[in-house]
Amino acid sequence: MNFQVYNRDICVGDIRVIGVSSSSLLMVGDAETIQLAATFDTPSESLIVGPFVPLSPDIS
Amino acid sequence: MIAMLQRITCVDHIKIDSVSFSSIFQIGDSEQIQAISRALAVQREAEIFFDNEGNFNAFPIFSEAIPFQPADEENVVFSTHNLNPVLKVRNIDILGASSSSVVHLGNSRNIAMEARVKHIRQLLPRNDKTNGTNGED
Repeated sequence: MNFQVYNRDICVGDIRVIGVSSSSLLMVGDAETIQLAATFDTPSESLIVGPFVPLSPDIS
Repeated sequence: MIAMLQRITCVDHIKIDSVSFSSIFQIGDSEQIQAISRALAVQREAEIFFDNEGNFNAFPIFSEAIPFQPADEENVVFSTHNLNPVLKVRNIDILGASSSSVVHLGNSRNIAMEARVKHIRQLLPRNDKTNGTNGED
Protein backbone atom coordinates (compact mmCIF):
# COMPACT_ATOMS: atom_id res chain seq x y z
CA MET A 1 0.00 0.00 0.00
CA ASN A 2 1.18 3.49 -0.82
CA PHE A 3 0.40 6.16 1.71
CA GLN A 4 1.21 9.72 0.74
CA VAL A 5 0.74 12.73 2.99
CA TYR A 6 1.00 16.38 1.94
CA ASN A 7 1.30 18.59 4.98
CA ARG A 8 0.21 22.07 3.94
CA ASP A 9 -0.52 24.96 6.29
CA ILE A 10 -1.56 23.79 9.73
CA CYS A 11 -2.48 26.72 11.89
CA VAL A 12 -4.41 26.13 15.12
CA GLY A 13 -5.96 28.91 17.20
CA ASP A 14 -6.74 27.66 20.70
CA ILE A 15 -6.27 24.26 22.37
CA ARG A 16 -8.01 24.03 25.73
CA VAL A 17 -7.66 20.81 27.71
CA ILE A 18 -8.86 20.07 31.23
CA GLY A 19 -6.64 17.09 31.91
CA VAL A 20 -3.98 14.87 30.40
CA SER A 21 -3.73 11.86 32.67
CA SER A 22 -2.83 8.19 33.06
CA SER A 23 -0.05 7.92 30.49
CA SER A 24 -1.82 10.14 27.98
CA LEU A 25 0.00 12.20 25.41
CA LEU A 26 -0.68 15.67 24.06
CA MET A 27 1.76 16.41 21.30
CA VAL A 28 2.30 19.21 18.83
CA GLY A 29 4.81 17.72 16.46
CA ASP A 30 5.65 14.67 14.42
CA ALA A 31 6.39 11.16 15.59
CA GLU A 32 7.40 8.01 13.86
CA THR A 33 5.57 5.49 16.04
CA ILE A 34 3.12 5.96 18.87
CA GLN A 35 1.94 3.00 20.93
CA LEU A 36 -0.72 3.50 23.58
CA ALA A 37 -1.99 0.82 25.93
CA ALA A 38 -4.38 0.98 28.83
CA THR A 39 -5.94 -1.65 31.05
CA PHE A 40 -8.72 -0.70 33.38
CA ASP A 41 -10.08 -3.33 35.72
CA THR A 42 -13.08 -3.09 37.96
CA PRO A 43 -14.41 -6.65 38.12
CA SER A 44 -17.26 -7.86 40.26
CA GLU A 45 -14.82 -9.42 42.73
CA SER A 46 -13.44 -5.97 43.39
CA LEU A 47 -16.68 -4.92 45.06
CA ILE A 48 -16.20 -6.13 48.62
CA VAL A 49 -19.12 -5.86 51.00
CA GLY A 50 -18.16 -6.66 54.56
CA PRO A 51 -15.65 -5.69 57.19
CA PHE A 52 -12.80 -3.59 55.88
CA VAL A 53 -9.77 -5.72 55.23
CA PRO A 54 -6.48 -4.30 54.10
CA LEU A 55 -5.20 -5.18 50.68
CA SER A 56 -2.24 -7.50 50.58
CA PRO A 57 0.68 -5.63 52.09
CA ASP A 58 3.37 -3.93 50.13
CA ILE A 59 6.34 -6.30 50.20
CA SER A 60 8.70 -4.67 47.77
CA MET B 1 17.84 10.46 12.89
CA ILE B 2 15.34 10.89 10.14
CA ALA B 3 15.66 14.49 9.12
CA MET B 4 13.20 14.64 6.28
CA LEU B 5 9.83 14.20 7.90
CA GLN B 6 10.19 16.73 10.63
CA ARG B 7 8.39 19.94 11.07
CA ILE B 8 9.01 22.85 13.36
CA THR B 9 6.51 23.40 16.14
CA CYS B 10 5.66 27.01 16.84
CA VAL B 11 3.48 27.70 19.88
CA ASP B 12 3.00 31.34 20.81
CA HIS B 13 1.64 30.79 24.29
CA ILE B 14 1.15 27.78 26.55
CA LYS B 15 -0.17 27.60 30.09
CA ILE B 16 -0.20 24.41 32.20
CA ASP B 17 -1.48 24.76 35.75
CA SER B 18 -0.03 21.55 37.15
CA VAL B 19 2.27 18.75 36.03
CA SER B 20 2.18 15.99 38.61
CA PHE B 21 2.93 12.32 39.35
CA SER B 22 5.87 11.75 37.00
CA SER B 23 4.40 13.71 34.13
CA ILE B 24 6.58 15.56 31.69
CA PHE B 25 6.29 18.84 29.86
CA GLN B 26 8.79 18.58 27.05
CA ILE B 27 9.74 21.50 24.84
CA GLY B 28 11.94 20.42 21.97
CA ASP B 29 12.53 17.19 20.10
CA SER B 30 12.98 13.82 21.71
CA GLU B 31 14.05 10.43 20.52
CA GLN B 32 12.20 7.93 22.67
CA ILE B 33 9.46 8.23 25.24
CA GLN B 34 8.28 5.37 27.42
CA ALA B 35 5.80 6.01 30.20
CA ILE B 36 4.09 3.61 32.57
CA SER B 37 1.45 4.43 35.14
CA ARG B 38 0.09 1.93 37.64
CA ALA B 39 -2.68 2.70 40.07
CA LEU B 40 -4.71 0.87 42.68
CA ALA B 41 -7.82 2.96 43.17
CA VAL B 42 -9.41 1.91 46.44
CA GLN B 43 -12.64 3.44 47.61
CA ARG B 44 -14.01 2.64 51.06
CA GLU B 45 -17.38 3.58 52.40
CA ALA B 46 -15.80 4.65 55.69
CA GLU B 47 -12.65 6.68 56.15
CA ILE B 48 -10.19 3.89 56.84
CA PHE B 49 -6.67 3.88 55.51
CA PHE B 50 -4.08 1.20 56.19
CA ASP B 51 -0.61 2.56 55.67
CA ASN B 52 1.16 -0.57 54.45
CA GLU B 53 -1.21 -2.04 51.90
CA GLY B 54 -1.33 -2.45 48.18
CA ASN B 55 0.90 -4.84 46.34
CA PHE B 56 0.88 -4.69 42.57
CA ASN B 57 2.17 -8.27 42.32
CA ALA B 58 -1.07 -9.57 43.83
CA PHE B 59 -3.08 -8.46 40.81
CA PRO B 60 -2.33 -9.95 37.40
CA ILE B 61 -3.62 -6.83 35.62
CA PHE B 62 -0.34 -5.11 36.52
CA SER B 63 1.85 -7.79 35.02
CA GLU B 64 -0.11 -9.24 32.11
CA ALA B 65 1.41 -8.59 28.73
CA ILE B 66 -0.25 -6.15 26.37
CA PRO B 67 0.69 -7.44 22.93
CA PHE B 68 1.34 -5.05 20.07
CA GLN B 69 1.68 -5.73 16.41
CA PRO B 70 5.17 -4.63 15.44
CA ALA B 71 4.97 -1.37 13.54
CA ASP B 72 7.44 -2.45 10.84
CA GLU B 73 5.36 -5.49 9.92
CA GLU B 74 2.83 -3.30 8.12
CA ASN B 75 3.40 -3.38 4.41
CA VAL B 76 2.95 0.33 3.76
CA VAL B 77 5.10 2.62 1.65
CA PHE B 78 4.89 5.84 3.56
CA SER B 79 5.89 9.19 2.13
CA THR B 80 5.36 12.60 3.64
CA HIS B 81 5.77 15.95 1.90
CA ASN B 82 5.99 18.87 4.25
CA LEU B 83 4.97 21.70 1.97
CA ASN B 84 4.73 24.02 4.95
CA PRO B 85 7.21 22.74 7.53
CA VAL B 86 5.71 24.71 10.42
CA LEU B 87 3.01 23.55 12.85
CA LYS B 88 1.57 26.71 14.28
CA VAL B 89 -0.55 26.95 17.42
CA ARG B 90 -1.53 30.28 18.92
CA ASN B 91 -2.51 29.20 22.42
CA ILE B 92 -2.64 26.04 24.57
CA ASP B 93 -4.32 25.97 27.96
CA ILE B 94 -4.13 22.81 30.09
CA LEU B 95 -5.38 22.51 33.66
CA GLY B 96 -3.35 19.49 34.59
CA ALA B 97 -1.11 16.72 33.40
CA SER B 98 -0.94 13.75 35.74
CA SER B 99 0.14 10.12 36.17
CA SER B 100 3.00 9.64 33.70
CA SER B 101 1.43 11.72 30.97
CA VAL B 102 3.37 13.85 28.54
CA VAL B 103 2.77 17.24 26.99
CA HIS B 104 5.18 17.50 24.11
CA LEU B 105 6.02 20.42 21.86
CA GLY B 106 8.36 19.15 19.19
CA ASN B 107 9.08 15.98 17.33
CA SER B 108 9.83 12.52 18.53
CA ARG B 109 10.60 9.13 17.14
CA ASN B 110 9.18 6.27 19.18
CA ILE B 111 6.54 6.81 21.81
CA ALA B 112 5.02 4.12 24.04
CA MET B 113 2.61 4.99 26.79
CA GLU B 114 0.97 2.51 29.15
CA ALA B 115 -1.59 2.85 31.94
CA ARG B 116 -2.90 0.14 34.24
CA VAL B 117 -5.63 0.94 36.74
CA LYS B 118 -7.48 -1.37 39.10
CA HIS B 119 -10.50 -0.20 41.00
CA ILE B 120 -11.52 -1.80 44.29
CA ARG B 121 -14.56 -0.76 46.27
CA GLN B 122 -15.15 -1.80 49.86
CA LEU B 123 -18.58 -1.20 51.31
CA LEU B 124 -19.79 -1.49 54.88
CA PRO B 125 -21.71 -4.65 55.79
CA ARG B 126 -25.35 -4.41 54.84
CA ASN B 127 -27.58 -4.98 57.89
CA ASP B 128 -30.79 -6.30 56.47
CA LYS B 129 -31.83 -8.32 59.55
CA THR B 130 -31.17 -6.49 62.82
CA ASN B 131 -28.96 -3.59 63.71
CA GLY B 132 -25.87 -5.74 64.25
CA THR B 133 -22.75 -4.03 63.05
CA ASN B 134 -20.88 -6.93 61.60
CA GLY B 135 -21.82 -10.06 59.77
CA GLU B 136 -20.92 -11.58 56.49
CA ASP B 137 -24.27 -11.21 54.76
